[in-house]
Amino acid sequence: MAEEKKYKRVRIKKGPKGWGGPLVVDCKPGRDLIYSVTGGGIHPLAAKIAELTGGRPFDGFKSKADFHEIAVAIIDCGGTARVGVYPMKKVLTVDIYPTSPSGPLMRFITEEFFVSGVRIDDLEVLD
Amino acid sequence: MIKYEATVTGVGPLVSEFTQAGILVLFRQGAPEEVAEFAILHDGQTLHSPLAAGDQIQLGAETFQILAVGEVANSNLAALGHLVLKFNGQTSPELPGDVCVENRPLPTIAAGMNLKIVA
Repeated sequence: MAEEKKYKRVRIKKGPKGWGGPLVVDCKPGRDLIYSVTGGGIHPLAAKIAELTGGRPFDGFKSKADFHEIAVAIIDCGGTARVGVYPMKKVLTVDIYPTSPSGPLMRFITEEFFVSGVRIDDLEVLD
Repeated sequence: MIKYEATVTGVGPLVSEFTQAGILVLFRQGAPEEVAEFAILHDGQTLHSPLAAGDQIQLGAETFQILAVGEVANSNLAALGHLVLKFNGQTSPELPGDVCVENRPLPTIAAGMNLKIVA
């Protein structure tokens, strides 16, 4: 039997000028991807969330994953498209830019699924 | 000077969610499926020089003047081939990813169409 993996819950609050949250990332076996949908590979914030939670960093531009495998998505969205796509799929979404709900999909962007302007200082390990 | 050049390779099934709002969302092919659904996909590779107000974007036979460029629009385009074109006539970008162009009807986009941004 494989060794049981120990995950830690991490609370993510909005940064200065940010919006939404706080979110609690709670990785589980089979749902532990820290899904970076950002330019230039895995974003340092995604790498840090992976380190703190024990989840697996994943580059959404390099490989494909199912939504039910994603613990949290990290985006660098300038406000229109990606901000809505992941909340619409009920995926917890962290925008590194301090965006507020906007764009055609804004009806899906809620405090329950979305937090923005997040920096490494805005992460807190809960257990 | 040509700043960016691409050929449209596909149009996502949910593009109308954005075109109805006067927005075209572009991504380089290879974007995750959930993003590609809403996007116009293309094969553009290199941003030769940052976009700026006053540049022109050619979409097929139509040309639109670029009026404003948001602060993260150039890094989006360089890294991901990602462009958010708003046909709203605004001279200051509402959101950091926006590239605002003239307030005219959106061109109909189809695979095979050429896209070029020139200074």
